[in-house]
Amino acid sequence: MSSVGRPGIGWWLLILPAFALLLVFYIAPIVQVLTISVTEPSLGFGNYQRILTSSAVQRVIMTTLRICLITTVLALLLGYAIAYAITLASPRARGWWVLAVLVPLWISVLVRAFAWVTLLRRQGLINNTLIEAGVITDPLPLVWNEFGIVVGMVHYMVPFAVLPMLSSMREIDPRLLAAARGLGASRGEVFRHVFLPLSLPGVIAAAVLVFIFTLGFYITPAILGGGKTLMVAEWISLQILDLIRWGLGTMMATVLVLAILVTLAVFSRVVDLRRIFGAGA
Amino acid sequence: MDGTYRPGPFGRSLAWVTALYLVLPILIVIPVALTDQRYLSLPQDGISFRHFETVLTSPEWLGSIWQSFTIAVAATVLSVSAGTLCAIGCWRISRRATELVRVLMLLPLIIPSIVYAIGLYRYFGPLGLLDRFAGVVIAHGVTGIPYVVITVSTALASFDPRLEQAARGMGASLSQTLRWVILPRIAPGIFSGAIFAFIHSWDELVMVLFIASRDVFTLPRRIWDGINENLDPAMAAVAVLLILFTLALLMADRALRRRSEG
Amino acid sequence: MSAATGHALGLRGLTRRYGSFVAVDDVSLEVGQGEFLTLLGPSGSGKTTILMAVAGFVAPSEGAVLLDGQDITPLPPEKRNFGMVFQGYALFPHMTVAENVAFPLRVRGMSRAERDEKVRGALDLVQLAAFAGRLPKQLSGGQQQRVALARALVFDPNLLLLDEPLSALDKKLRAELQEELKALHRRIGRTFINVTHDQEEALSLSDRIAILNHGKLVQAGAPGALYDRPRTRFVADFLGKSNFLEGVVRQPHPGGFMLEAGAAQLVVALPDGEPPPAAGARSLLSLRPEKITVLAEGEAAENIVEGRIVSWAYLGAGFSLRIETAGLGEIRANLPTWRSAFAPAEGLPVRLGWRAEAAVPVAEDVA
Repeated sequence: MSSVGRPGIGWWLLILPAFALLLVFYIAPIVQVLTISVTEPSLGFGNYQRILTSSAVQRVIMTTLRICLITTVLALLLGYAIAYAITLASPRARGWWVLAVLVPLWISVLVRAFAWVTLLRRQGLINNTLIEAGVITDPLPLVWNEFGIVVGMVHYMVPFAVLPMLSSMREIDPRLLAAARGLGASRGEVFRHVFLPLSLPGVIAAAVLVFIFTLGFYITPAILGGGKTLMVAEWISLQILDLIRWGLGTMMATVLVLAILVTLAVFSRVVDLRRIFGAGA
Repeated sequence: MDGTYRPGPFGRSLAWVTALYLVLPILIVIPVALTDQRYLSLPQDGISFRHFETVLTSPEWLGSIWQSFTIAVAATVLSVSAGTLCAIGCWRISRRATELVRVLMLLPLIIPSIVYAIGLYRYFGPLGLLDRFAGVVIAHGVTGIPYVVITVSTALASFDPRLEQAARGMGASLSQTLRWVILPRIAPGIFSGAIFAFIHSWDELVMVLFIASRDVFTLPRRIWDGINENLDPAMAAVAVLLILFTLALLMADRALRRRSEG
Repeated sequence: MSAATGHALGLRGLTRRYGSFVAVDDVSLEVGQGEFLTLLGPSGSGKTTILMAVAGFVAPSEGAVLLDGQDITPLPPEKRNFGMVFQGYALFPHMTVAENVAFPLRVRGMSRAERDEKVRGALDLVQLAAFAGRLPKQLSGGQQQRVALARALVFDPNLLLLDEPLSALDKKLRAELQEELKALHRRIGRTFINVTHDQEEALSLSDRIAILNHGKLVQAGAPGALYDRPRTRFVADFLGKSNFLEGVVRQPHPGGFMLEAGAAQLVVALPDGEPPPAAGARSLLSLRPEKITVLAEGEAAENIVEGRIVSWAYLGAGFSLRIETAGLGEIRANLPTWRSAFAPAEGLPVRLGWRAEAAVPVAEDVA
């Protein structure tokens, strides 16, 4: 008979402010702007036909998907290594590992993009060091291209990949690993046959999270892509702020939102979404 | 785990490389900020604090810092009050009945801010909220609600619902129960939510790029212009200050959590 | 007991459904002023739901809760003025003992001076005045239980509701607190309603017990009456242990009948005014193991059955015997050890005897 009381009207009133704020100042602006995609410049799905006809639109979508996939795979790989190390670390060491994940997570994305620019640009620290050391004579093109974007995006996404994987790894009973070794399995076999399968839900959750975050990401690709490699978010901004083509911009925004919602819907069958977005929601 | 089972050499080295990849590039801005040169570089003949001086005496930078701070404080107040009440309501009313609200609360985390930003750009025009303090506060405050809802819900998950029943059974009204029983218990969760909501607003750029232009010119906006226009060591100094500020906030959060757990 | 001085609480056809599941099924019950009533039943019997409906935390699907004849069903919990001791106590962990006890007074807007005085009185009542400044987590389980009691009594509630108040304590402490609780009830003379699944606690504390099963009220009465004259197999089985003897009714007459069970003819006496069952009907008897004696050589009894001991156990105060009888199957008997002449052994032939009023006809439970 835990909490099955009778929640009075008062409790609903508590929800009201947040609900109303979200409805009026979040949902309404988004719905309103997305409907523009079928009303401007003329009523109908003309804007959406551009996906099939315009090579520029197709190029942006393909670039975005390519960068997203590469970023997701790399972030998962690196994130898995960190989560694995955290899970198996001694309590003292664990604190430092967690710090190495959480601090970057909360440092401003602008600061991080700026740091990468400092390191990667033509006269940046890496190129200068390599030239001074005589390894290369001409600076390497490390930034303002897809390479730079991926470096910065993976850096941004690794902490997001770590968190869901870590929470699912921590549910693994450590006695299982000891038992497997006791039964004669090598370390590699324990990992392959016990640890990896048990951590898989976390990996899937992390993949979904990183993928959908990467799809609509704006700042890092805009700074590290230098305007030459466009992903959808920057492309949308370009359509609306510079070219004033609301129809096209909002069409792409709608496609972006749909892609994310569909991804979530598909994977919500495989993995608990609460695992992705934290316990509270 | 107790540390008796350890990762192999490959796993260990990959973890180390990743940790360095995560941390080192951020730390690189520190020596750059201390350079004695006038361009982005490592210090050559010694360290210098003149780029910090440049930032801390510049009315533009200080103005933006102050504006970002006041916006973040106002937005945090909005997020915390709406988010906390909502989390408590959802906690008390059954999960099934509040499913819609819960999903709604997740949307700002799921939908890219570029989509919201163009929406606001169009929506705020007729309302006269473009390039206004209030407009940015609303945008940041509303999108900060999920952070508060999540941290407060987590705090409530460990709150014994019988305490609420006990209070009501002894004659306490809803507001008395809230003030004297529920809020004191979940204060650490609310504080955590406040810190996250604050950082969310303080760092937010995409919305600001669309709904603010001249009168409202926040710190991230100024950094953005700096990165795109003049890459000088003053930028690195700003970055260092931001890193220190974020670290201080996170430390405060950690200390508070530890105290409430201990 | 004091049930004669008018009714403090009444349940009229109380029903609570959760979807198609009926947690409480048409329960009607009167609780007298100053009475200590215990709702007893296995888990899932609906006893806690009834208590929560009385407290106002659960809205009945049908029926009413009456306080001194007035319908209070629509009142929210905070308007009912009932004291409640929750399972696990639900003490506010961020408040001291005194602040916890003062809480119900504070919500009623009582002045600080008046509050302090009442809190002191309530803490004295449970002998915890010295612990007023402590936090709940600094107290032992028994002390926490007493704080919960003080908090539930400090505002002069109309009723005191206790939800498994002793279940979190160990056995020894539980026995001590049972006595304290009983003494407290006598001293303050208020109506207590207690919920428990512990039959010993129910028997020792209550003026009256209401036994519940599957959401239904099965039988209510004083502990002795319930134990001695259970009306159904469930009551006989749940409250203590029982043998069940099945047979056909022969020679019914006012005051008793014969039961033909297998080869045996058993004499059954009924209390005054209880009509005997019809001849030829099937009847089920409940026979408590401690009402059976092992007869000495040549000793007589109204009912005698012969058998052999299958197994036995020494329990300190008594022996527990399993006996395979000639016509009645296996029977359990408990013998006090002070009958030292008797030394049980496996395979030992024994003659069992009991009085005509020892076996009680009970109804089969309808599921």
